[in-house]
Amino acid sequence: MEKVTFTIDGRQVSVAKGTTVLQAAIEHGIQIPYYCYHPGLGVDGSCRVCLVKIEKMPKLQVSCSVVATEGMVVDTRSPEVVEARAGVFEFLLINHPLDCPVCDKGGECPLQDFSYAFGRKESRMEFPRRTFDGEGVRADVDFGPTLMLNRNRCIMCTRCARFMRDVAGDEQIGIIDRGYGSEIATFREEGVHSVLSGNLMDVCPVGAITTRDYRFKSRPWDNPNAVDTICTGCEKGCNITVWIKAKPEWAKGSQLARITPRYNADVNQYWMCDIGRFGYHWVEGAERLSAPLVRKADGALEATTWDAALKALADRLGRADWGGVRFALSAHASHEEMFALGRLAMALVGDAAQSSIGVGWNVSAKPQAGATRFTVPDVDAPNVGGARAFGLVEGERPTPTVASLRAEVEAGRVKALYVLDPGPAGAIGDLSWAVAARKDGRLPLLIAQGPVATDVTRAADIVLPGCAWVEKDASYANMQGRLQAASQGILPPGDARDDWRILADVAAALGVPLGYDSAHEVRQAIAATLGSEPAVAGIAALEFRRPAPAATWLQASNPMERLKWDFLFQDVLPLKFENTRDPGHRAGEKT
Amino acid sequence: MRLPEPVLTPHVKKPHGHTLEHYLQTGGYQALRKALALTPDQVIEQVKQSGLRGRGGAGFPTGMKWGFVPKDSPKPKYLCVNADESEPGTFKDHVLMERNPHLLFEGCVIACRSIGAKVAYIYIRGEFYHVQRVLEAELEKARAAGYVGKNILGSGVDCDIWVHRGAGAYEAGEESALLESLEGKRAQPRLRPPFPAVVGLYGCPTIINNVETICNVPVIFDRGAEWFASIGPEKNTGPKLYCISGHVARPGVYETSMDVTLRELIYDYAGGIPGGRALKAVIPGGSSVNVLTPEALDAQASFDGLVKAGSMLGSAAIMVMDETTDMVWAATNLIHFYKHESCGKCTPCREGSDWMHKVLQKILRGEGSMRDIDLLLGIANNIGGKTLCPFGDAEIAPVVGMLQHFRGEFEHYVREGRSLVPLAPWRAREPAGAHAH
Repeated sequence: MEKVTFTIDGRQVSVAKGTTVLQAAIEHGIQIPYYCYHPGLGVDGSCRVCLVKIEKMPKLQVSCSVVATEGMVVDTRSPEVVEARAGVFEFLLINHPLDCPVCDKGGECPLQDFSYAFGRKESRMEFPRRTFDGEGVRADVDFGPTLMLNRNRCIMCTRCARFMRDVAGDEQIGIIDRGYGSEIATFREEGVHSVLSGNLMDVCPVGAITTRDYRFKSRPWDNPNAVDTICTGCEKGCNITVWIKAKPEWAKGSQLARITPRYNADVNQYWMCDIGRFGYHWVEGAERLSAPLVRKADGALEATTWDAALKALADRLGRADWGGVRFALSAHASHEEMFALGRLAMALVGDAAQSSIGVGWNVSAKPQAGATRFTVPDVDAPNVGGARAFGLVEGERPTPTVASLRAEVEAGRVKALYVLDPGPAGAIGDLSWAVAARKDGRLPLLIAQGPVATDVTRAADIVLPGCAWVEKDASYANMQGRLQAASQGILPPGDARDDWRILADVAAALGVPLGYDSAHEVRQAIAATLGSEPAVAGIAALEFRRPAPAATWLQASNPMERLKWDFLFQDVLPLKFENTRDPGHRAGEKT
Repeated sequence: MRLPEPVLTPHVKKPHGHTLEHYLQTGGYQALRKALALTPDQVIEQVKQSGLRGRGGAGFPTGMKWGFVPKDSPKPKYLCVNADESEPGTFKDHVLMERNPHLLFEGCVIACRSIGAKVAYIYIRGEFYHVQRVLEAELEKARAAGYVGKNILGSGVDCDIWVHRGAGAYEAGEESALLESLEGKRAQPRLRPPFPAVVGLYGCPTIINNVETICNVPVIFDRGAEWFASIGPEKNTGPKLYCISGHVARPGVYETSMDVTLRELIYDYAGGIPGGRALKAVIPGGSSVNVLTPEALDAQASFDGLVKAGSMLGSAAIMVMDETTDMVWAATNLIHFYKHESCGKCTPCREGSDWMHKVLQKILRGEGSMRDIDLLLGIANNIGGKTLCPFGDAEIAPVVGMLQHFRGEFEHYVREGRSLVPLAPWRAREPAGAHAH
């Protein structure tokens, strides 16, 4: 790559040709504030806070729109620059409500942070502030089903309008009126109706756009931990950060505060969809299973211990019936779980193991504009790629095979159906036929393993509580065949166990132990068996993240803003900086 | 040499002076024939030799601008005529388009051919409804007569002209905002580089010229580049229209050459100040340039002469203010215009224009303090040179200029709570500041 070398604040920096001064400064940890620029949205040149002095240029330049050239000399700290920049901050704040104490962005707000760092000590403005829809929180107006808008806080960076135009391909946001009266608006105030709407909260550098999901829920400093993981809502496998609220023992409520996208150039860039972002509440919902259940003689499901449940399972599943066991497997299962289930099936069914497993998932079309640059796939399961790697489904675009078990079950030839669905309710697809068959007795035994109560668990004889994706370390292969790690962020409720271990426990209870003591051993076994398969290559070396202190972890899909946060406000090295030009080097991804 | 006779506006007072018939009778479209006989490069060379500078305000050499169009670009090229005449005090393009439209068409065709464009857009200001009707009616006649359209005068040159009326925004007169508006977007400026000559309308090479600039082009070929270059002072050649308004006996558009002085324009052409009152200030180039005091009256009203005098020729809109003018009110009125017309794209202009207006209103109400006067300069300083387009520099010019020359009047307002000059009767009847919007 061709490079240019130039000087910023007396430091020699070397960047790829074509890099702007602002990008170069960000890459090298040099403090230049910015609002309208976003690496995923490009240069707009309208906020005017990234002013720098460039030698041989008469006026101050906005660094976002000046391409670095060989030998250029840039100064970001001369009195002229400092004063001019403070002047722009003064302009930005004369109409900003400064309601930071009640604003969701407060504490992780680039306007707040940069104003402290670069702004004037006090404003010379003495006139009433401009208001659009009212004052205080009354100014918050509906901005579609997922968002709220507070126009008074808006600084007109137009990132939201540009996101909808350039990324969503659906220009729902525009600016009405002009000059001092400019405001962000949608046609007839209908709000944003988009499956990508949550990203608008991410790109908004102030608290003008907030999500209804996170609004008033938590403050940044109340989210002490965050874990970098992936979303398992569909086969895209967006890289995300899960924010974890403090939960003292006496506290009620959930621990998952929010989910934000994490930059990965090859998978999701800076974005994620609303389905993944907002669809996590089931993890800590009322339907979660926290103890094994066994159906008693009176027909009621009763909570019990693992020992009792596993013993009941072994008793019910007589050795003679092993050949008649069938498995319904959700494509929400991880590599580890699929592999362990496969081993269990081989132990029970023998050579016909492969055909004893039917794989299920849902498919749904997402309403998106044709011009979108971020397509949400139709397949609502994270590991169809894994099912294909393990030979459970076939073809470039496999279709669910779980229905192939149906005829057998309805004909009464199946002695026991073992359902493994670690996804949200119904993620495996339609199993109403199995429920019906169990009710009318054609299916003698129904064993359900999964995290939530569903029609299947309610009809089952034995229910084994598993983990949601954010409660376990597991690996998945997305639609590109990319192996990615989902890391544990929170503990599972009650007695719920990691799903691969449940399978191992079941095997042990049946007297056919799988021989794995940890998930890592399962991954080693996968590597030994299927090591050459692209979807699992490198699985034994996969690393998982642990929840990290989030006090310094800026909410942003934009790694550059994380960098900024690290440099400006912490005295620590930028440990969390991810090189945007060299994606994929993070642990848990194929390199 | 002083311009001996009007060449851009010779027939403006005749009732049918704007028609194709009249234009042809008086030698119209002959320059086009001459230009078509030359190669495009020769045309550009002639324009360069004539010394024609852009009449929109910046005074950039027109021939050089045309030369920036990349010759090897496979994309279509466009000519946009900036007829969004919105600068306060400016009304010369309006006269040219309404009273001499064929001169503009002729210039368009010559310009288009020289830059390789087949389409010219005349972007006229939203309020110029009547002008649009005149232009379109005459354009239809020119098209029918073969001066515009396909195979013009049998030369094989195609050039069509479209009249597009904007929605009425000052900012649409900024060239890149004009392109945005023409593309159907909000009239907001673009980042430069790339410059419109390389990436302009629809991403194609585009030349944007003022109406008066284009109207000068046929003159160059009619009378010759040497003749053109001999008119007016060196480097400020050719005929020039001046719009004189304010406290003068005969406000209006006057055509002369740029060796004229402000004194001649005000006292000879426009008949001086009525009632024998004394001159207080003159803004020589539309509201976006610095105000001058009577000491500068002998400055040459040319691009270079007015820069030397500390201002700019701009759009040659000469606004004359006599001794009865309340300069604080005048500054407030002008900044109100800029506040109203700011496009809102970039921060300093959007926020600063309104703030300056509020501070000025406060002073005008008699509630100001001395700190407010310094604050005005502080705000202006934070806007100047820090905006996306030249609008920021334009909006601070009246305030900075007024404060530079008439600070005493502002201080009088602060100390006494009222104007230094007696209030005009119509203002005395109104509550303070009412007419400053």
